[in-house]
Amino acid sequence: MEQLSALPDALLRQLIAVGQVDVLVGLPTLNNAATVVDVVRAVHVCFTRDFPRLRTVMINSDGGSTDGTPELIRSASFTEADMVLTSHPLRTLHRIVVPYHGLPGKHTALRTVFAAGELTQAKVVVVLDPSGPATTPGRVTEMITPITRSEVEFLAPCHSRHPRDGVLVTQLVRPLVRALYGVALDEPLGPEFSCSGRFASRCLERDIWDHEAARFAIDMWLRTEAVAEGFAVGQIWRPAPTVAGARTRLREAVQQVVMALIESLRAHDSFWRKANGVVELRRWGTDPKDSPDAPTWDYQALAEQARHDIGEIRPLLKEVLEATLLARIVEETSSLELRSDDELWVRTVYALAAATRRGPTSIEHLAGIFVPLYLWRAAAFMAHAAIETDATVREELESLCQTFQRLKPLLVDHWSAEV
Amino acid sequence: MIQEIAEALAQSWQNFATAFVLFVPRLVAAGIIFGAGFVVALLARRLVRGGLGWLQFDRLATRTGASEMLRLADMPGADVLIAKIIFWIVWVGFIVSAVDTLQFGPFQGLVQEFFSFVPRVLLALLVLALGFLVGNFVWRATLLASVNAGLPGARVLSGTLRLLVIAIAVVMALEQLGLATTVVLTAFAIAFGALMLGLAIAFGLGGRDAARQLLEQHLQAHEAREPDATPHL
Repeated sequence: MEQLSALPDALLRQLIAVGQVDVLVGLPTLNNAATVVDVVRAVHVCFTRDFPRLRTVMINSDGGSTDGTPELIRSASFTEADMVLTSHPLRTLHRIVVPYHGLPGKHTALRTVFAAGELTQAKVVVVLDPSGPATTPGRVTEMITPITRSEVEFLAPCHSRHPRDGVLVTQLVRPLVRALYGVALDEPLGPEFSCSGRFASRCLERDIWDHEAARFAIDMWLRTEAVAEGFAVGQIWRPAPTVAGARTRLREAVQQVVMALIESLRAHDSFWRKANGVVELRRWGTDPKDSPDAPTWDYQALAEQARHDIGEIRPLLKEVLEATLLARIVEETSSLELRSDDELWVRTVYALAAATRRGPTSIEHLAGIFVPLYLWRAAAFMAHAAIETDATVREELESLCQTFQRLKPLLVDHWSAEV
Repeated sequence: MIQEIAEALAQSWQNFATAFVLFVPRLVAAGIIFGAGFVVALLARRLVRGGLGWLQFDRLATRTGASEMLRLADMPGADVLIAKIIFWIVWVGFIVSAVDTLQFGPFQGLVQEFFSFVPRVLLALLVLALGFLVGNFVWRATLLASVNAGLPGARVLSGTLRLLVIAIAVVMALEQLGLATTVVLTAFAIAFGALMLGLAIAFGLGGRDAARQLLEQHLQAHEAREPDATPHL
């Protein structure tokens, strides 16, 4: 009952009117007028066509859109083409539009959705990206079905990516999560997922919603939480995200992701310190094999910026890194050649992660210190990848994952020593 | 005449003997207080250091950044420093008591003055320590924020701010001690005012175009943010 406080009164009244449901689809929005109508229609077609006997509800938790997103969702109706596809629903279709209250951010919207799921005793909770690429009724159905069949309790989308795409994911998040949590999760940062009502209730019990990890990257925390708590986790093929829609600058994005990673490591340290090996996750759906071309960016300019910034923050690096490690970083970034050694990168990541356990530097500051180091790594990776074949780059990405895994004992030792 | 001289000498000797008889016990007492004070101060130092070690005070000092500041100032660890301060306060207290026992005219009332001064010293030390902590935090935060905002001269900016915070703390500490209050406050006000005026003139006149550009960039930042995060995510 404590979680009911997460629900606004208006939503509470509507949910009581709805009663129990089988499937709850949550749609956290913030100025998504351009794409949200198609997503809403896809959800409705999915409900009426593929789950006519299930009790369903779609909840839009809006963060204060100024472009009329909530009104568009309220008024979204089937197009003629959809009507041909859909049969008559056997149950009432519920659509609830409500602004969430509390701290601004996706985590508050998700908390509202989870609390609604708990109140309505939903068996399946699906969260969709309102700006998601090509959300079709079939794809929504694919995300619901494995949970309704109890084949899995948490389903995370995975994409067919170009090897040069998503550098922050491929150079840091994916290999780190894979090495520490012991699962081959492709996309730890994706905005969409589906889960069982049991998992949603479990998350509500956790003291995370007012925490930094939730504020910055709730999506990653949910995935790592599912793994750490022993829920059956799977992946489902989705089309790769498009370049449009970025609301965050690169440096802010890196800082937020690093902070979320650190908070996740803190929350689950008793799990990942003991986790061994890497488990492959079962995949649903089919690989669309339509990976968009890798974006191009000026990695030379990025490297110059990183080189300058690393020089500026050297006194801070001295506080958190061992002298030999720092000397190697300085040597590498001072060199005319734009390169980054895998092992040095992994050691640096682990040293900074361990530094969160001690010392005068706060997590926010450590994340800030990390940014120039990441910029250098990203620039070096892109410079190297530009002259290599896609197959070679893929092999090197896999090799990086193995380096993270091989050096994991370093982090475990340092982390344990600082407890 | 001779008799008068003899009487004067006798009187003088008697006075000296009386004074000596009165002084020697006080001197012995002062010596005992001095020696006992040293022993008590040593014990207090050991006790404080042991207590701080048991409380893992060095960890706290490391976490707050105090250890790093002390290391940079070529000073011992925080627990050692506090134990030393306690040692000197205790021993100086005993020394003052010893001197007071001798009942020298110019040193009358020294004990009262000392014990009224000790809280001010402690407060001044606290202000100074807080100043260093805040200065260090401001330096770190400014350096990171400036670097990650792509501002030029991040180290100069952050270093200047740290110096400013520490200078304010030093002035406040000196004011607590009551040392040359007027001179210190006046000098600080003039220096601070001159610095701010200089910066304002330099920014407003010398860097007028840069100031305009900076403000324009800031005002436009909310409308058009560089969408460079997506390729990385």
